[in-house]
Amino acid sequence: MTRNAVGALLAAVTVATAAVLTTALMVDAQGPIRLGASLSLTGTYAKLGKNQHEGYQLCIKELNAKGGLLGRKVELVVYDDQSLPPTGVRLYEKLITEDKVDAVMGPYSSPITEAVANVTEKYKKVMVSPLAATTSIFKKEPRRRYIFMVISPAEGYLEGLIDIASKRGLKTVAVVNEDTLFSKAAAAGAVDLAKKKGMQVVFQEAYPKGNTDFSALLTKIKSTNADVIAAATYFDDAVALTRQMKELNVNPRMYGVTGGRRPPEFYDTLKGNAEYIYGATQWEPVLNYPGNKEFFESYKAEFKHEPSYHSTAGYAGCAIYAEGVKRAGSLEADKVREQLLKLETKTAFGDYKVDQDGFQLAHKMVTFQWQKEKKVVVWPDDLVQGKVLFPTPPWNQR
Amino acid sequence: MNVVITPAMVGQVVISGLLSGVLYGMVALGLALIFGVMRIINVAHGPLLMLGAYTTFFFYSTWGLNPYLTVPLSMLVLFGVGWLLERTLVFRVVDAPELSSLLLTFGISIALVNGAQLAFTSDLRAVEYLTGSWMVGPFALSKSRVIAFVFAGGLTAAAFLFLSYTRLGKAIRATSQSREVAMVCGIDVGAIHRLTFGLASALAAAGGALIAVIVAIQPEMGQIWTFKSFLVIVLGGAGNYPGALLGGMLLGLVEQLASLFLTTQLSEVVAYVLLVLVLLVRPTGLLGGRQT
Amino acid sequence: MKRLAVGGALGIALIALAMYPAYGTGYGNRAMLQIFMWIALAGSWNIISGLTGYVSFGHVAFFGAGAYTAGILIASRAWSWPMAAVAGGVAAGVLALGIGGPCLRLKGPYFAIAMLGLNEVLRALVSYFERLTGGGNGLSLPTLDATVPIYYAMGLTAIAVTLAARLIIGSRFGLRLMTIREDEVAAESMGIPTFRHKLLAFLLSAIGPGIAGALTARDQGYIEPLSVFPLATTITMIVMTLFGGKGTVWGPVLGAVVLFVAQEIVWARYPYIHPLLFGAIIIAVVLAMPRGVLGLLQLKYRLPRTI
Repeated sequence: MTRNAVGALLAAVTVATAAVLTTALMVDAQGPIRLGASLSLTGTYAKLGKNQHEGYQLCIKELNAKGGLLGRKVELVVYDDQSLPPTGVRLYEKLITEDKVDAVMGPYSSPITEAVANVTEKYKKVMVSPLAATTSIFKKEPRRRYIFMVISPAEGYLEGLIDIASKRGLKTVAVVNEDTLFSKAAAAGAVDLAKKKGMQVVFQEAYPKGNTDFSALLTKIKSTNADVIAAATYFDDAVALTRQMKELNVNPRMYGVTGGRRPPEFYDTLKGNAEYIYGATQWEPVLNYPGNKEFFESYKAEFKHEPSYHSTAGYAGCAIYAEGVKRAGSLEADKVREQLLKLETKTAFGDYKVDQDGFQLAHKMVTFQWQKEKKVVVWPDDLVQGKVLFPTPPWNQR
Repeated sequence: MNVVITPAMVGQVVISGLLSGVLYGMVALGLALIFGVMRIINVAHGPLLMLGAYTTFFFYSTWGLNPYLTVPLSMLVLFGVGWLLERTLVFRVVDAPELSSLLLTFGISIALVNGAQLAFTSDLRAVEYLTGSWMVGPFALSKSRVIAFVFAGGLTAAAFLFLSYTRLGKAIRATSQSREVAMVCGIDVGAIHRLTFGLASALAAAGGALIAVIVAIQPEMGQIWTFKSFLVIVLGGAGNYPGALLGGMLLGLVEQLASLFLTTQLSEVVAYVLLVLVLLVRPTGLLGGRQT
Repeated sequence: MKRLAVGGALGIALIALAMYPAYGTGYGNRAMLQIFMWIALAGSWNIISGLTGYVSFGHVAFFGAGAYTAGILIASRAWSWPMAAVAGGVAAGVLALGIGGPCLRLKGPYFAIAMLGLNEVLRALVSYFERLTGGGNGLSLPTLDATVPIYYAMGLTAIAVTLAARLIIGSRFGLRLMTIREDEVAAESMGIPTFRHKLLAFLLSAIGPGIAGALTARDQGYIEPLSVFPLATTITMIVMTLFGGKGTVWGPVLGAVVLFVAQEIVWARYPYIHPLLFGAIIIAVVLAMPRGVLGLLQLKYRLPRTI
């Protein structure tokens, strides 16, 4: 009798403990939402990857301050992909299959996003990819269903320059670009648009990444007397190109780059030689997008330096994902996807609206011109802040 | 598109090529010295140049020093760094097969680059000092490159004078020709090795200091200089010191001419094809060097 | 008895590896796949450089050649990936024969630099012939999830390379290669046709990387010049071989496994400084253990040549 009683008591205690433990575990399983990503913290993209990282971090900090997502705190799990696509692929597999994160955000740059998208599609995980600007990633067959673009595509970077040029009646264009994914797309977009507007592309050449001597290239361009020089560059090649244009006295009537946006470095580096140059940017602190000024101040206070557009895109991308989850009321990929496809909103970064492939439709590139040490937005017309200084005066007359 | 190439254009490009060429030659001379004296292929040569550029940037931005005045300073700093590297690490692989020195210097190279990324961040820096060019007839001579040309030429000439006429210089050449005989003659070969490595680093630093006003400074900027220095040495002949200078000018010319007549993208291919061809056809270099 | 024990252990290991994909996560499969790839690469490098002493400093060129050959065949001609992998190996072999001829006549450091130059030439050429290779845009393969079959294919490649190494090192051919390493002039005067032997070793050492490159291209689904021709890959395969033991059969295997695992752990914990740590590891291996683990053991315990 006693033995049975003891046995029954033991059984009851065991069951009770098990029940308590499992509920405890279940409560823990309700723990933080883990958002995973691999970012380029070292390697060629190190600086920009870091900015994107900070953008994600600020977004999550603000989310948590407002009570988190779906009532749970959000945690960021980040690995370094060393700016290499194969590493990114492996790390996303790790995040999804081993770390079992609840969701993923995109990495830095188009090549890495392209490689990684194969993984996220395989596991049907929604991935907002804030720093991928290449159309082909979103239009590849068979169509990818779970990736979402935030920034404007590369092809549009030089659109403002070409548009202004054609409105001013200029006829000839020379296009140069670095031989990498983004620059090639930007150059191709510029060439396409120029031809559509009836302008003549008199010169087009690519240069290898890391090239610093443009003498021969510029000598050739000078001989064509092109009205417009459109350069799809990053930062250091833009600096070298500009300096050498001055040295060789190459004087187009308009000169635009795609790498001249980062204040204050571009201007600090080139000083007066940066005047009149047109640049393109995905975002500027001065644009009156909702929450932009607040974001700028918080970011500066948190990270002790000004955000670049990569920071803002990361921030906005994460916020957009959070919005999608909120509207879906769940983390389930298909529900979130549905919401993100429908969503039309404006963040500190600008407009967001995608087509059925997740390709960004609404976000606008902004073209500015360096005028008297300031960046003045000159295109598109609805965001203009000042008049264009046209034509660009020859070097020896400045 | 077909751009018509005029003689004036060719002339312009030849000038640019020679201006860069002398710079290549000076930097490659450092590498040639290390290879000639110690039989070591120094893959860390580019990063040493990068450190020279950062040193110049540091002096320029903290104390507003004229970047050209910082050239001797950068050289001094990197001389010390090179000396130290030899003393602690490199001396161990001097007699080893080339695999050891290749790997060791590669390890040093990535440690230096990553160290620079941590210390200086990957933010691009630049020294804005002298822009524009002097016009000579129809040709534009970039001011910063001309000054670099003058400095590089001067430093290379000084190096040759040092090697030919001073006791230390002759000791270096002696060790380069035959280490055993040099030892027998009473030369402290270990000290010569440290001196050589320091000197080579100083030459690389001078290169870095001079291009600090021309290009953007970032931790990975040196890698391409390592490759180009290899190319120059192959062209000029290993162990052939004047060959390094001539090889440099040849490379500069080939690059610019290929860029003019073909495309800038192809000029990269041409340079490497040239490397492989010269190695296959005349491994001792176009100007004759040493077999091994 | 010992042979049976070793053989048995090996058999168990192989069976375990064969069953792994059933239990492994996606990441685990990919990681194992990578290890197999490194074994194939390091083992192949060992065949030419470990045995003959000719330092192939651009060996990743064969990897890249295989990757692009397969990539192009799969993307534009819809070849199946197994056939493309074979084609990758063949392409690499042809490349080896083509450049081995002239290059192997060079001595020591010149051979090393020539191989480095070759790697860069290939990379630059691939970037230039855009229409064929996609150039700087990279080459995107039609989406296909074949990680598990490729796991097996890569595993087989690793086994094949290790087996080849075992056969070569245990044979007269291998002995002759090592004689070339010790003193080429003496070898020639003994009547060994050094050039033909070197060329054969070079050819054999290129096929493994060629196939590995092709399989990697298929698995990644996207390749670009900078990621399949990097110097860092050559260095890594060299360091792995050196660590494990240059010129031994299992050295590259040991090195590949240990260093890969170490790298993965270091990455996870030290995101910003792992290149520095990797550099330190390289320096440590070169200075402290140039013979590698198995090399040291071989010396100390008089282990057979074919370990």
